[in-house]
Amino acid sequence: MVHYKLIYFNLRGRGELARLVLHHQEVAFEDFRFEREEWPKYKAGTPFGQVPVLEVDGKPLAQSNAIARYLARQHGLAGQNEWEQSQADMYVDCIYDLISGTRPIIYETDKEKQKEILQKFLKETVNPHLEKLEQQLIKNGTGFLVGKSITWADLAYYSFFSPMTERFGDSVIDNSPHLKKLVEHVANIPQIKKYVETRPKTTL
Amino acid sequence: MPGYKLYYFNVRGRGELSRLILHYAGVPFDDFRFEGKDWPAFKSKMPFGQVPVLEVDGEKMLAQSHTIARYLARQHGLAGQNDWEQSQADMYVDCIYDLHGAMRTPTWETDPVKQKELFDKVNQDTIQPHLEKVEQHLVKNGGGHLVGQGLTWADIAYYAYFTTPIMTRLGGEVLTKAPHLKKLIETVGNNPNIQKYVETRPVTSG
Repeated sequence: MVHYKLIYFNLRGRGELARLVLHHQEVAFEDFRFEREEWPKYKAGTPFGQVPVLEVDGKPLAQSNAIARYLARQHGLAGQNEWEQSQADMYVDCIYDLISGTRPIIYETDKEKQKEILQKFLKETVNPHLEKLEQQLIKNGTGFLVGKSITWADLAYYSFFSPMTERFGDSVIDNSPHLKKLVEHVANIPQIKKYVETRPKTTL
Repeated sequence: MPGYKLYYFNVRGRGELSRLILHYAGVPFDDFRFEGKDWPAFKSKMPFGQVPVLEVDGEKMLAQSHTIARYLARQHGLAGQNDWEQSQADMYVDCIYDLHGAMRTPTWETDPVKQKELFDKVNQDTIQPHLEKVEQHLVKNGGGHLVGQGLTWADIAYYAYFTTPIMTRLGGEVLTKAPHLKKLIETVGNNPNIQKYVETRPVTSG
């Protein structure tokens, strides 16, 4: 039995997708979290001075999507064939770009300015993406992003849009009924529900 | 052999890695480039209104630059020898994706003085610390490549990033403290297929 240690801040952030993959597949792992003040202690020991890092029997793997993809592939959540795997990769890359887009919003301290940046982000980036996404979901026709069953891509969209709606309101995905349904579906998966109920409560 | 059509602007940018992979592997493809003014006509046809997009056999479309490059690398033996090596390669290419993001602002800056300032800051704050770690990993891995003992798309990704027009123009000193990476980049550049492509590709600003 392989030993996994996932090293990340005590935040959801860029560590959460890997955690969701492992919880969904009910794979045991060490969910190693540290507070911001402790980061200097761990930074030098990471491959690129960043986290998350996944240690697989002590061997390190860095970069949030490389980690989540590795775990998804090892545990049957990556897609049923190479084309599906690429489709899943594509969707997760879209989420990576959206996450990067939220950084100026999260770090803006002026409330009015934050609201402005958020509205701009929703209008210029999120909504155009969601329009295309709805078309893709309808075209695929199974309720999932890729193929006939859940993949890490579905977890990635849940992982991004669930906190977005919590923080900024349901209106974020009001015009995307298929995505809304998918996010709700993932939220109600027993393993996911249980993890979400028991995980540390963090701002990000 | 599948029919590949790669849609992208007539620049290197985020399309170049896939082009280099296909040229390195000796795989023919339709390198479909369009100018900025023609973009609106294509935008609505693309899965997410963005390029690059890879069209396979005239029917299936794949978006996102690194997803495309990974798919091509895997199809043509450049992804790594096993699951772990493939993840290591993914990791390095993700690092390059972040470095690309960091270089976006300097790349688009039109004032040459300001551009140099911005470039130097990205180099100092982001690239140099990253290179320190990469050198350590290259030495530890041994053999000259980033992953395993042979060339992977990760090596090509580093070659592509460190030979962009802005890097060529302003980054003469960037690899001074990274001799192993410098050697790896030269090795990739000296590959006959890469050399032939680089000599004949359109000359573009980015």
